[in-house]
Amino acid sequence: MNEIRVTSADKFDIRDWLRTELMPHFMCPGCGHGIALRALLWACHELGIDKDKLAIVSGIGCSGRTGAYIDANTFHTTHGRPLAFATGLKLARPDLTVIVITGDGDSLAIGGNHLIHACRRNLDITCMMLNNEVYGMTGGQVSPTTSAQRYTTTTPAGNMEPVFDACRLAEGAGASFVGREATLQIPTLKDLLKEAIAHEGFSFVEVISDCTEIFGRKNALGSSPEMVLKQKKVMIPERSDNRIAQPFRPNPFPTGVFVRQERPEYGAAYRQMCERVQKGGKGR
Amino acid sequence: MGSDTERDDVTSVLIVGVGGQGVIMVSKVLATLCQEHGLEVKQSEVHGMAKRGGAVFSHVRFGRHVHSPVIPAGEADVLLALEWAEGLRWLHFLDPENGTFISDVRKIVPPFACRDRGRGVAPQYAKTTPRDVLEKVSVGYALDATGIAAKLGNDRAANTVLLGILSTALSFPEQAWLDVIERFVPPKTREINSAAFLAGREWVKEATVPEGEVLPVPEVDTVLKNVVNRLEITEEWCKGCDICVKFCPERCLALNDAGKVVVKDANACTGCRLCEMLCPDFAIRLHKELPAEVAQ
Repeated sequence: MNEIRVTSADKFDIRDWLRTELMPHFMCPGCGHGIALRALLWACHELGIDKDKLAIVSGIGCSGRTGAYIDANTFHTTHGRPLAFATGLKLARPDLTVIVITGDGDSLAIGGNHLIHACRRNLDITCMMLNNEVYGMTGGQVSPTTSAQRYTTTTPAGNMEPVFDACRLAEGAGASFVGREATLQIPTLKDLLKEAIAHEGFSFVEVISDCTEIFGRKNALGSSPEMVLKQKKVMIPERSDNRIAQPFRPNPFPTGVFVRQERPEYGAAYRQMCERVQKGGKGR
Repeated sequence: MGSDTERDDVTSVLIVGVGGQGVIMVSKVLATLCQEHGLEVKQSEVHGMAKRGGAVFSHVRFGRHVHSPVIPAGEADVLLALEWAEGLRWLHFLDPENGTFISDVRKIVPPFACRDRGRGVAPQYAKTTPRDVLEKVSVGYALDATGIAAKLGNDRAANTVLLGILSTALSFPEQAWLDVIERFVPPKTREINSAAFLAGREWVKEATVPEGEVLPVPEVDTVLKNVVNRLEITEEWCKGCDICVKFCPERCLALNDAGKVVVKDANACTGCRLCEMLCPDFAIRLHKELPAEVAQ
């Protein structure tokens, strides 16, 4: 038998990119983070990135653990701080492709401060935020992206807080590339990640993932195939009672590229300044 | 007697196509033009399946007095098809003796035509050629309007190219058509639509009976036909989340008693890779293989 490899999907074998000795991974059955990980590695494969030149920085949480399975330079950092570590890493080693894998709690709650400043600086790193609406690893607490009225261990009577729209936050903070896609549409997600990695400047990609065991079960969202299929429908970004006033918005979570703009990249500007100072100038 | 008089007076144009091609735009242009020439116009349409390639049709009837908004089968004076298979589907509405058939030969294959097919075989599609149709109608024009429009810079102007052909079958002056088109198209595309309309009129002047087949006959790819899709399942990695089983369009997979995925029907696999791509545990791999004897 001769194996035929014609399309990009034929040529991509995820096992070339995984630390297979660590598999099977620790994620629950049906967890969308695995699908997101495949999309990311597929994008890296298509871009022809050298594994030795790829640095994956991740924080704490289910999302943080996904980075550990990648057979590249991976860095498992403290909660909410992967972007801070990545900033230092990219400034010290501008030759590396730096990708941050973070979660909704990791980047919006604990690391919210780091996220907005990373967006503002526009350093050439890619931030993939896996949004599963919950703190999965720590026991299912409410997160800034938990939909309206959802039950979690810390919201036993339903979530009453308004929800963070991460893409609008990143846009407002000044990220030069912002996009969102669901794991269900993995080829599109792969293309979006490809664009984000290739983009020069800070790129933020929100991946709509699913948490079946901790979040889905508590909220009766169905089995994992059902959750994946309904991904975009079950997420309610605002208070659910708002939706009555918006009957023509069947998909409350738009996907695609929202922002793509040319802005001065922080690393280049920083190195220029260093050069001037080293020559004895004032840096301005 | 009533119906006969009405038929003499009324011209019926049936416009058919696939959602998004501009069937409604074409009929609006025609209806407005007729109204401006002091004629009574009745138009009825079925649309709304437009977004995902559903069938769209529009009846336009005009004359001094029009009673019914619907064209009876076999009485359309012009059948304008923006897509080839749609044209064939509505062919029986055309007056077989005096009707004019105008159609784009480009095909738009609906998604369901891809189901239940053999490996490497092109999706099912109408095999009737323009030459076959020419035998059934009095006047017939089949052209690659989309190609003409694409050459002008925007393939979405294909409907205006066909409008140009339609204009030669009716007796309104050229400038009147151009004026109405200009009002209906977005301002940025005015120029290209005018050019497309004129290109359509030009095309009719040089139209000939085709020598060979205009529609290419779908070929079976000899390599792809023999490809064997082999699903490799790493059982230790599978957590039995059921995603692959539920998403497989051909229902090839199942969960066994241990909650691990197994291949239920290997022959049904079309190699779409949905299971491989959506497996969160990377437990499924698809190998497209060519048997050694075929490879030689």
